[in-house]
Amino acid sequence: MTGRARARARGRPPRQEAAGPMAGDPAVAPDLPGQLGETRQPRRADVPSHPSGEPGGHGRLRGLESVQQERRPEGLRVSSGLQDLCLRERGGRRRDYHDLGVNTRQTMVHVQESKTGVSGRMIKLTSNHYRLTSRPQWALYQYHVGYSPEMESRRLRSALLFQHEEHIGRTHAFDGSILFLPQKLRNKVTELFSRTRNGEDVKITITLTNELPPTSPTCLHFYNIIFRRLLKMLNLQQIGRNYYNPGDPVSIPNHRLMVWPGFSSSILQYEESIMLCADVSHKVLRGETVLDVMHSLHSQVGEERFRDACAKELIGLIVLTRYNNRTYRIDDINWDSNPMATFRKSDGAEITFLEYYKKQYNIDIGDPKQPVLISQLKKSRNVEGTVVLIPELCSLTGLTEKMRTDFNMMKDLAAHTRLPPEQRQWEVGRLLNYIQKDDNVQKELGNWGLSFDYKSVTFTGRVVQGEKIFQSGNMVDYNPQFADWTKETRGVPLIRAVPMDNWLLIHTRRNHDVANTLIQSLYKVTPSMGIRMSRPTTIEVDDRTEAYLRVLQQRVTPDTNIVVCILSSSRKDKYDAIKKYLCTDCPIPSQCVLARTLSKHQTIMTVATKIALQMNCKMGGELWSVEIPLKQVMIVGIDCYHDTVTGRQSVAGFVSSLNQTMTRWFSRCVVQSRGQELVDGIKACLQTALRNWLKWNKCLPSRIFVYRDGVGDGQLHTLVHYEVPQFLDCLKDIGSFYRKVEPERSRSLEELSPRLTVIVVKKRVGARFFAEVGGGLKNPPPGTVVDTVITRPEWYDFFVVSHTVKNGCVTPTHYNVIYDGSQLKPDHLQRLTYKLCHMYYNWSGVIRVPAPCQYAHKLAFLVGQSIHREPNLMLSDRLYYL
Amino acid sequence: MRSSGQRACRPAYRGLRLLPGPQSAWDTRAPAPTYRGALGPKAQSSRELFTPPLYKQRYQFVKDLVEKYKPKKVADLGCADCRLLWMLKFCSCIEVLAGLDISASVMEEKMHTLSPLPFDYLQPSERSLTVTLHHGSVAHKDPCMLGFDLVTCIELIEHLEESELKKFPEVVFGFMAPSMVVISTPNSEFNPLLPGVVLNRHPDHKFEWNQAQFQSWALEAARCYDYSVEFTGVGHPPKGMENVGFCTQIGVFVRKYPRSGGSVQYEKPTEAVYKTVFKAVYPSLKDEKYLQNAVVSEVIFTAQNIKHHLMSKHEECDDDPERKSEFQPSVSSFSDYLGKLVVDKAMEPFVNGNEVCIPLAAIFSFPKVNQLCGTFEKLCKLIAGKVTLSSDGSAVVFNTEHETEED
Repeated sequence: MTGRARARARGRPPRQEAAGPMAGDPAVAPDLPGQLGETRQPRRADVPSHPSGEPGGHGRLRGLESVQQERRPEGLRVSSGLQDLCLRERGGRRRDYHDLGVNTRQTMVHVQESKTGVSGRMIKLTSNHYRLTSRPQWALYQYHVGYSPEMESRRLRSALLFQHEEHIGRTHAFDGSILFLPQKLRNKVTELFSRTRNGEDVKITITLTNELPPTSPTCLHFYNIIFRRLLKMLNLQQIGRNYYNPGDPVSIPNHRLMVWPGFSSSILQYEESIMLCADVSHKVLRGETVLDVMHSLHSQVGEERFRDACAKELIGLIVLTRYNNRTYRIDDINWDSNPMATFRKSDGAEITFLEYYKKQYNIDIGDPKQPVLISQLKKSRNVEGTVVLIPELCSLTGLTEKMRTDFNMMKDLAAHTRLPPEQRQWEVGRLLNYIQKDDNVQKELGNWGLSFDYKSVTFTGRVVQGEKIFQSGNMVDYNPQFADWTKETRGVPLIRAVPMDNWLLIHTRRNHDVANTLIQSLYKVTPSMGIRMSRPTTIEVDDRTEAYLRVLQQRVTPDTNIVVCILSSSRKDKYDAIKKYLCTDCPIPSQCVLARTLSKHQTIMTVATKIALQMNCKMGGELWSVEIPLKQVMIVGIDCYHDTVTGRQSVAGFVSSLNQTMTRWFSRCVVQSRGQELVDGIKACLQTALRNWLKWNKCLPSRIFVYRDGVGDGQLHTLVHYEVPQFLDCLKDIGSFYRKVEPERSRSLEELSPRLTVIVVKKRVGARFFAEVGGGLKNPPPGTVVDTVITRPEWYDFFVVSHTVKNGCVTPTHYNVIYDGSQLKPDHLQRLTYKLCHMYYNWSGVIRVPAPCQYAHKLAFLVGQSIHREPNLMLSDRLYYL
Repeated sequence: MRSSGQRACRPAYRGLRLLPGPQSAWDTRAPAPTYRGALGPKAQSSRELFTPPLYKQRYQFVKDLVEKYKPKKVADLGCADCRLLWMLKFCSCIEVLAGLDISASVMEEKMHTLSPLPFDYLQPSERSLTVTLHHGSVAHKDPCMLGFDLVTCIELIEHLEESELKKFPEVVFGFMAPSMVVISTPNSEFNPLLPGVVLNRHPDHKFEWNQAQFQSWALEAARCYDYSVEFTGVGHPPKGMENVGFCTQIGVFVRKYPRSGGSVQYEKPTEAVYKTVFKAVYPSLKDEKYLQNAVVSEVIFTAQNIKHHLMSKHEECDDDPERKSEFQPSVSSFSDYLGKLVVDKAMEPFVNGNEVCIPLAAIFSFPKVNQLCGTFEKLCKLIAGKVTLSSDGSAVVFNTEHETEED
């Protein structure tokens, strides 16, 4: 069904809807004569489609809360000053990015009244949220517009309706079937008559279907659409979801990058009011075309590896074209085609790309022999097929993985994109200022009866007490302000130091000296940590992947503690091969070090200390701990890695605690090809994790806290309705299993099954907090918890700022408790979360997310990038993936 | 509802749309079958009455004219949904595009298609282009319409009230007085071939002229304002009915004498009566700001490439960059230019302690840089203060000491 038909189905007055099955279902569109039987021209691949507005993407029919039943308009046309502009979001609304309508708090009785914590000292904060205000008794009036005889073209429907502006007013939003007005028409049903240019008389029936209060989801969606219109009126250019100012670019010629400053914005119902959350966003564009990139790749890698290199570098990237304002994802490169190839136009004529671009856009393609790019159109958009793009006419956006690892480039970029708090807030203020100053924008807002508070909201947060760090019975005295204990733990013995009696050091001839330096430095730093170290077996190899592998095959024995490889370049294939071998075929912890890292005299001791700690963790050692007052608790961390290059694989990393102090972690991962659901694999992971917990602790945990990272915008619904039930199933199973193995301890199944809590962790949030310090704005200190004003009323959620940043603004992490069987007070859950941010052993400080999430991320990344299948389970109780 | 009396420009629906099927210029669905009989069995095989559709043929006619005469300033009167303007913005000869319509809302609906694209900012073009949309009537004079090379009135005049039509020649030929005017209008003699057309093709048409009517009106206007006119059209009649003429008749007017002393001889300069609803200035290398950006970026990029080659020669010798391939037939390879550099001593890059110096002369010898700046002096002027140079200003300097370690 097309979006139009769906819209029509959706837009029927409720009385009619109630009679039939669920509105919006493809199979049950109201059978109006002549509507469904019409012939439609097959959509051409590059014609903008009218996709259906699917709020959750999944399980629409699974009986959600009433809020979700209320459908949002999918493409609105707004008038008055920006007459008839189609407001459908770019590329159609594929998802509900804000997870509206997932109402999880109502199922959790213990947080019905309050979800706020109590501990810590108060801190005055401000954020980048601005209240949306509407005039008293404001409502949005939703009308259904029917045509008799039926009019097919949306354009014609609009044109006919808008002939009656004296009735409906200049301010309206219309998507072809639903009409929104800021004021009520005199009658519930209004009949109007228009005549088409063919002289056909048409009766238009406008029926009031809904009076929407300001807080209804439809209104929220509507606000967002209006706001996007405002941004467009301010001459900002839309790229992807955000709006950018092309008139004020920052160019970074060293890397041929251009940065457009811009804004991300969303309007949502927050705890007490509807607010606009506006943040500064930067779009990185590249001043070169895809063809330029191909040329430079060619000169870098040569003929043989050229195609592979292109695929690696380009596939998955988003390009802008020279001739239209759309973005495409490169899904493939067709080397067998070129711009001289022909395609069939919508009128059936064959034409070459060369001719087409010349004729249509007056563009001369310079290189007729370049390959072409293939972009797959999303299935969900009601269009099938592919779009062919010419490299020369495409310019790249965003950064490649390779660029991200380019330290200098990122440094240069950060200079422009990492704004300190004061400046960031000033930039956002500037946007609000534009809105306030622009007459057209003000007129538009005024017509709809809306306005903004041009001062951001202020509220109080709490800074919870700094956590104590323990290392071998000593409490480490560090300053919680800095959230780092690197210096303070230097020279303090580790909780559990694993001896290095039998280890290998592999290096090339050229790196002989570097290898010796490493050994000497390790001898200096390990004793104070309590690590017993013998001299390694050092092996010299040729600088070839096969040479490394051969040595590994010959010299690694099951007794080997760890293998250290000194690599002379950051060439990924060598690293991948070593990791793959030592994680799957021959499960021994390994440490790869770049020779360059060891060659600097000034930093060698710091580097050696870090390497020693990392190796100790990989072999199953423990570094430090924090106080965990809860007993019999298992913590789980999950994160996903999606292969953007081939787009084929997804990897979920799964990590779970093994002991009371949370210093040891069990890990597994799930490798899924496209189209499979990760959840089944995750269930299996949880099962093995529980059995391992049982083995280590001789009992089942009483509570399980799952920190789930890697949840995309709009996927919350799936998580709540598919993943959580699977977890619960699994816990029930393990209860019965346990009763069978240990019948003498058996209690009721209810008591035996661990109680589950699932917390969705989100690092990429639009919210920013600023502490008002001495008249200026500063980053809030680590340990800042926010659980009021800017949280969502329908969720049990909170923000924690756990880490610090050297420059720029700190991003709070959002925690959304979607299921909570633990009955823990919000305060305790917040504290537990913050504690876990201290437990990541690869960083002697506090990190942005709970340690298990970061471990899961590391694991998924290693497997997704290098290993591509599940590592050997022999390693599963060690942090070999650090 | 807009009262029809207000219109002096062609409104929302542009041009001939024969049957209920297609409703907009953007929508190219095939018309319903009823028409096919009218043209006899031959046409039955073709789904469209005209291929390409007539409105497209009209636009193509204008586009061909633009390609042929290369006007710099073009105005479309009654631009409606801006489709013709959108097509014309790709014509590289045009530097000023203007649209005029009586309905602001119709223009606003699609005017965003006339905005520059991100790509235009990323790679600013050589030519400058300004697109402006005005809200107003062709019965009124506004100085913003002066100085155009080509004015097009596609399917416009038949929407004009009698009083407006009377003023039209004076405004277009007398006041605007462009070198060339294109006017198209329906040919009523063709109407019997169009099914469903009883009187006019569109209810808003105030009249539809036959060939003689149009030609006498056009000849009179041409005579009055010293233009010559030629008649043509698009939409050929079926075989055997050639005397009917084109479905759309077109008059192409050319001013006989170049006007001297501007257009002020008829009246005093008029006040602005049109309202500007849209204006877009495209980024162009003619603008110093964009030129400087482009040059700085190209200079640094080129210098870095040279440095990269220089350094890799110093460090590793195992990779041979000189490999010919079929992939780069149209671009002479970078190393070719590098080769030239070695010949000239003054252009040779050199290492000086922690610094790599790449002479500007060397950078200037690269075609892209050369093309952008034109002269060496211009190059120096444009990059002054934007690129780190050696003390005598003759070379770009890079510091090699910023290799940084990673995790």
